[in-house]
Amino acid sequence: MGASLPPKEANLFKLIVKSYETKQYKKGLKAADAILKKFPDHGETLSMKGLTLNCMDRKSEAYELVRQGLKNDLKSHVCWHVFGLLYRSDREYREAIKCYRNALKIDPDNIEILRDLSLLQAQMRDLSGFVETRQQLLTLKPNHRMNWIGFSVAHHLNSNASKAVEILEAYEGTLEDDYPPENERCEHGEMLLYKISLLEECGLLESALEELRKKESKIVDKLEYKEQEVSLLVKLGRLEEGEVLYQALLSMNPDNYRYYEGLQKCVGLYSVNGQYSPDEIDRLDSLYKSLGQQYKWSSAVKRIPLDFLQGDKFRAAADNYIRPLLTKGVPSLFSDLSSLYNHPGKADILEQLILELEHSIRPAGQYPGRVEKEPPSTLMWTLFLLAQHYDRRGQYEVALSKIDEAIEHTPTVIDLYSVKSRILKHAGDFAAAAAFADEARCMDLADRYVNSECVKRMLQADQVALAEKTAVLFTKDGDQHNNLHDMQCMYELASGESYFRQGDLGRALKKFLAVEKHYADITEDQFDFHSYCLRKMTLRTYVEMLKFQDRLHSHVYFEKAAAGAIRCYIKLHDSPPKSTTEEDDEMSKLLPSQKKKMRQKQRKAEARAKKEAEEKNEELNAGGASKSGKRHVKPVDPDPHGEKLLQVEDPLSEATKYLKLLQKNSPDSLETHLLAFECYTRRNKILLALQAVKRLLKLDAEHPDSHRCLIKLFHKVGSMNAPVTDGEKLIWSVLEAERSTISQLHEKSLVEANNAFLENHKDSLMHKAAFAEILSILDLNRKSEAVKLVEESTNNFVPSNGALGPIREWTLKDCIAVHKLLGTILHDQDAALRWKSRCAEYFPYSTYFEGSCSSVSPNSVYSQLSKNSEHESSNHSTGSQNAGPIKSNGKLDAFKDLTI
Amino acid sequence: MSCSSQSRGLCAEISWEFKNVSRLFSTATPLHLCFSGGAVPSDSEATLSPFSQIQTLFRMGAGREVSISLDGVRDKNLMQLKKLNIALFPVRYNEKYYADALASGEFTKLAYYSDICVGAIACRLEKKENGGQIRVYIMTLGVLAPYRGLGIGTKLLNHVLDLCSKQNISEVYLHVQTNNEDAINFYKKFGFEITETIQNYYTNISPPDCYVLTRHTVQSPTKK
Repeated sequence: MGASLPPKEANLFKLIVKSYETKQYKKGLKAADAILKKFPDHGETLSMKGLTLNCMDRKSEAYELVRQGLKNDLKSHVCWHVFGLLYRSDREYREAIKCYRNALKIDPDNIEILRDLSLLQAQMRDLSGFVETRQQLLTLKPNHRMNWIGFSVAHHLNSNASKAVEILEAYEGTLEDDYPPENERCEHGEMLLYKISLLEECGLLESALEELRKKESKIVDKLEYKEQEVSLLVKLGRLEEGEVLYQALLSMNPDNYRYYEGLQKCVGLYSVNGQYSPDEIDRLDSLYKSLGQQYKWSSAVKRIPLDFLQGDKFRAAADNYIRPLLTKGVPSLFSDLSSLYNHPGKADILEQLILELEHSIRPAGQYPGRVEKEPPSTLMWTLFLLAQHYDRRGQYEVALSKIDEAIEHTPTVIDLYSVKSRILKHAGDFAAAAAFADEARCMDLADRYVNSECVKRMLQADQVALAEKTAVLFTKDGDQHNNLHDMQCMYELASGESYFRQGDLGRALKKFLAVEKHYADITEDQFDFHSYCLRKMTLRTYVEMLKFQDRLHSHVYFEKAAAGAIRCYIKLHDSPPKSTTEEDDEMSKLLPSQKKKMRQKQRKAEARAKKEAEEKNEELNAGGASKSGKRHVKPVDPDPHGEKLLQVEDPLSEATKYLKLLQKNSPDSLETHLLAFECYTRRNKILLALQAVKRLLKLDAEHPDSHRCLIKLFHKVGSMNAPVTDGEKLIWSVLEAERSTISQLHEKSLVEANNAFLENHKDSLMHKAAFAEILSILDLNRKSEAVKLVEESTNNFVPSNGALGPIREWTLKDCIAVHKLLGTILHDQDAALRWKSRCAEYFPYSTYFEGSCSSVSPNSVYSQLSKNSEHESSNHSTGSQNAGPIKSNGKLDAFKDLTI
Repeated sequence: MSCSSQSRGLCAEISWEFKNVSRLFSTATPLHLCFSGGAVPSDSEATLSPFSQIQTLFRMGAGREVSISLDGVRDKNLMQLKKLNIALFPVRYNEKYYADALASGEFTKLAYYSDICVGAIACRLEKKENGGQIRVYIMTLGVLAPYRGLGIGTKLLNHVLDLCSKQNISEVYLHVQTNNEDAINFYKKFGFEITETIQNYYTNISPPDCYVLTRHTVQSPTKK
């Protein structure tokens, strides 16, 4: 480096490099300028100066200098390396890799460059390149442990586990017998466990087990040793030994569900779907009884039998399980039991059981058949459990009466308000739900969970501004919104959905894309681990982390955000940003009172935004002068409302970007292919739309949406002009061929296929709605028939022996969908109104249907609440009497007029 | 942990307005008492750790033990005290009440029955007119109805009385409606005596008179 310089300058050059490494950038800059005074064209110095400036946030100068430096000295590996580092700092890994490769052409054995390159290759999953680089590093420095490990991991990642084992064994061969020294025992043990997991991956179970046992003394993580051993034994079919080991593991931790599962497998009493024969149930029962004797303090051993027991035995076990937990006061009891509601019949048994407890405790203060007095709180916890039970069964009215009674009993328990909020959410009153979540929040201002839950409810109630204010209470001071973003709490998702509901596509897109950014950041975050994990030898977790990263975008939050963004773009395509007149148009559709409300809201929002902007400016002015020098100031977002995002030329091609991610990462979701269908039909890509339909049919052929898409596609094809060009003819022939393979359409007209669909699903509201929609599309004259068919549906009772009133079949979500179908697709406003008033009966708490008990109805208990929530003070804690009228012991009436 | 009762320049004048709640007790052990008051003697001097908790175990049924603990009132959990007051007393207390309660430090406590907040004692520290001595005024003391008869009120009151003796505070007083015998008897058990009767203290309720109940202890001459 700096070879072409005279000694004095060469020393200065070394100083630049050293200053860069020690982050003394000003010093480095001075040295660089000193050299450049004499040798203004010295390429490596120019490059290093650029790199230094890059660290001082002078990006454009940096790129200029580094490029110039490279131009002046194309044969210098330093210049290429620096260029690579510059790209790397901007996360342009592909470009960086190219630069490193050029640098290595000049200096093939440069360890630093090779190491940097290997990190990038791991990050970009250039696996064969990674193997190559790692091999070279090992050849150059075989006495470094990390190089052996790196080479092995590289082969493993490149799907060559057996090669990876060989390398590790070769490495072990270089070690002394008394290895490892005391301070490296953990690392060595980890390496051994990694090797054994590799052997297991290769299917060499016997040798894995043998190796494991041979190295037992060198493996520090004894628990992992045992778990690995038992997993190998079970895979080898050595179940008796497995059983012994699982018993040993259980004695170490009798609350680990996986140990119980493993033990069941070993004794031949395990079924994936939880279905057992009566004989098996008896054997399981006695197994868990004996385990219960052994592990009296374990809660798992008491809980698991509830999954397999049936009938009276289930009832007795549930009774035994629930009682002590109600006495103790375990708020999570319902969520512990909630999986049982999927088992047929168990919900009914639980209902009878809990009601019986309630009826005994309320008057007598004791459980049925017991003489001991229960603590006073038991009644409250029982009511709490019942409320959640009825919520789960969709009997919201009963649920609310139970939770209100609990609140009156003990008004200081936060969980009661959270559950009340949840019930109201399920019942369809988001504003009231948000108000109660806020009340819960106010009861413990130091609890982030209740704060987060409250924010969620506020967003569901489309109170975005209030929600942001509330969320910000738990961020650090300073630039709060950026801070909220940095926390990656994914609140943007709910916020985006709220904006979407409110029709603010710009802000919605902004938020959805922010979620996408989170996932990009998470991908980015793995970079530091490529070197760290190899050094620390946490190899199993490292490889696991890489695999997690590979399927990162299949995470449900990403799926939702991408779907949200696609929906925004589709909407943008269907109705491009509107002019003001159109907005007025929309206003005119609303009732006068709603209009007034909306205008008021807008005015308020504008005023608030103005005020906030002013405050922010002031803050900036005040704080800017003193801090700007030191703190890394984040650039101000030039498009805070996403208005620029709305200006895209071709929304559908933007949508396709995200669609491809969904198709790659969430191929098993109906939603993905529904969106694909919507996008491709709009772009007239018939074959791609057909592909989406075929995937829908494969996933769930009976789903109403699958049916809708199938018929819509072929209806669209039928209405197109006859093919002219060769390409079109080809498409038609493919469609012809495919049509005959689709069983739903086989030798049927579309109308017949639609009829057959209805015939198969006569009793389902949503299937009927799909049929009706298609009917009206296929034949415009039959629209009234379609409307009539939907309206004639009956909301039957679910066959069940609920103790408190019957339960109906229809869900709120479906009924809202049908209402939208009637109003906006079938365009029958009268029918929509009739539907609305009918559903208001079924869902009295629904604000959508303006039910009589919902907060939008002026006569309901909650009407006051929704007004309160419009006063957007983030601390409206005084609204607490809303918790239900307080009439302690009924004797307080006389004091109502007291003056204070 | 205790602080001696030093005199600082506090406003000695106390104004109080009002009131009490009659017998809200259907059970034998009555503890539902409520008092409210006026001036703002803020003395943040009682600086016992706000997080210190006092625990006892309470026996329930056959061998079940339920713990009762006391915890301080802070701005983060003030709502708990508000919730209790809404449930217990017919009056809505103003912000001053809560400011006094917060300022009294260890003298205001929430009682937890196995992690459920079920009762509270709220006091105000006052400067006496002569001599600048501090005295304690109990603004409210109450326990939720289902949790009465478990010794929780006793525990709350004992806590304040103990604190007084540790800090050499010789006077504790409160107001109670003249016909609230349960409450009067309850306080008498702890050495409170009727020291004054104020006519027409209350408006709108009958009887409108109240007693002042006071508990004096002989001040120990020892200094810390």
